[in-house]
Amino acid sequence: MRILLAEDEKELSRVLIAAMNSRGYEVIPVYNGQDAVKKASDEIFDLMIFDVMMPLMTGIEAVKKIRLAGDKTYIIMLTAMSEVDDRVTGLDSGADDYVTKPFSLKELLAKLHSLERRNENYTEDVLGFGDITLINTEQRLESYNSISLSAEETKLLNLMILNADKKLDSKALIEHTWPKNEGVDDNTLWIYISYLRQKLHSVSAHVSILGEKGGPYRLMRNSEVDNK
Amino acid sequence: MEIYGVYGKYLPRVKEFVMNKIVEMNQTEILRKNEKLYEHLIGRVKTEDSMIEKCQRKGLSLNSKSSLTECKDAIGIRVVCNFIDDIYRVVNLLKQQDWCNVIKEKDYVSNSKQNGYRSYHLIVSVKTDFPGIEAPKNGRYFVEVQLRTIAMDSWASLEHEMKYKHNVKNAEQIGKELKRCADQLASCDVQMQTIRQVIHEND
Repeated sequence: MRILLAEDEKELSRVLIAAMNSRGYEVIPVYNGQDAVKKASDEIFDLMIFDVMMPLMTGIEAVKKIRLAGDKTYIIMLTAMSEVDDRVTGLDSGADDYVTKPFSLKELLAKLHSLERRNENYTEDVLGFGDITLINTEQRLESYNSISLSAEETKLLNLMILNADKKLDSKALIEHTWPKNEGVDDNTLWIYISYLRQKLHSVSAHVSILGEKGGPYRLMRNSEVDNK
Repeated sequence: MEIYGVYGKYLPRVKEFVMNKIVEMNQTEILRKNEKLYEHLIGRVKTEDSMIEKCQRKGLSLNSKSSLTECKDAIGIRVVCNFIDDIYRVVNLLKQQDWCNVIKEKDYVSNSKQNGYRSYHLIVSVKTDFPGIEAPKNGRYFVEVQLRTIAMDSWASLEHEMKYKHNVKNAEQIGKELKRCADQLASCDVQMQTIRQVIHEND
């Protein structure tokens, strides 16, 4: 799992990184809300952990901004014991869960472990973006027409919708789409990106995948493409 | 009953004329070292009975004017292509021909029908050396040209079988399965098209 950690207390951040690394998670640390929003909009994460009280922008503000951008990544808030009500835990602004400080590392790691299992088996049945609908259960893409997708195309498009508008690098896309050790490289990814492009075109979707061979790739509404 | 009247005898000859023109278009493409335009070509003149049935259904009087000008599919030609792109190549070439005018087109390839039907339909008007309904010498005849891939063609045959067999059990369920099948075939068509483009990427 790839985790975005926003925690301004350097010492706590270091401990959390070490603990999560020891479980094989990749952790990208930032130290304020503003950087958290920036990172979240640029890269794919499986999970985000935000402290509430942070300089420049609070964790709550950061969650609001991230949700407003359409990002549906699971977010856990770290809140002080005294702040436990929905307004301050962040649940109101779009966070999915919270852990009260002081917390035991064991508890947090157990939570991450259960999330990891959930992520592996769980995808939304139906996802929408712009004028397209992806029906995960049936591996079908719909817009003005419909067309079938392969298992890999479905995973890839699912991921791109969940991370729409972000520039996604090849490595992240490959890691999240194919099992490890399958030896999938840029060339294979390029073919699948090409399949998806043609399929989007064939259902007359007003949504495009931008990017050259080698990536990064970016799913955008056509109406937004001209402005970028 | 002869609904086509005196013009009936020219219909097979107009059909042959148009098919030959399309064969020539293909030969020109091959001479230019391009891929062939289509896999095969078939043509038919609508039988008197079907035309009478159609005119009755549409509330048209049963005469040569209805059957040749109001109905524009007395002559039908189907071009079955290997790849989706080839359909559009043929459409573009047809639009440049001096022997015909495209007067109507419907793109059910990029805008499939509800049941999953995909094809590109064109009505062309062809100037001929035969007498026609509004000109005693160089008559104009309408021809419906249908373009589709091999996969779309197989699908349409199956759908046709289902449509004309009236006692199908679970018609609704079979309709759903046919639609799903159409989406899968479209997926394969797009995949083959993409692979072809990747192969030729560096040409």
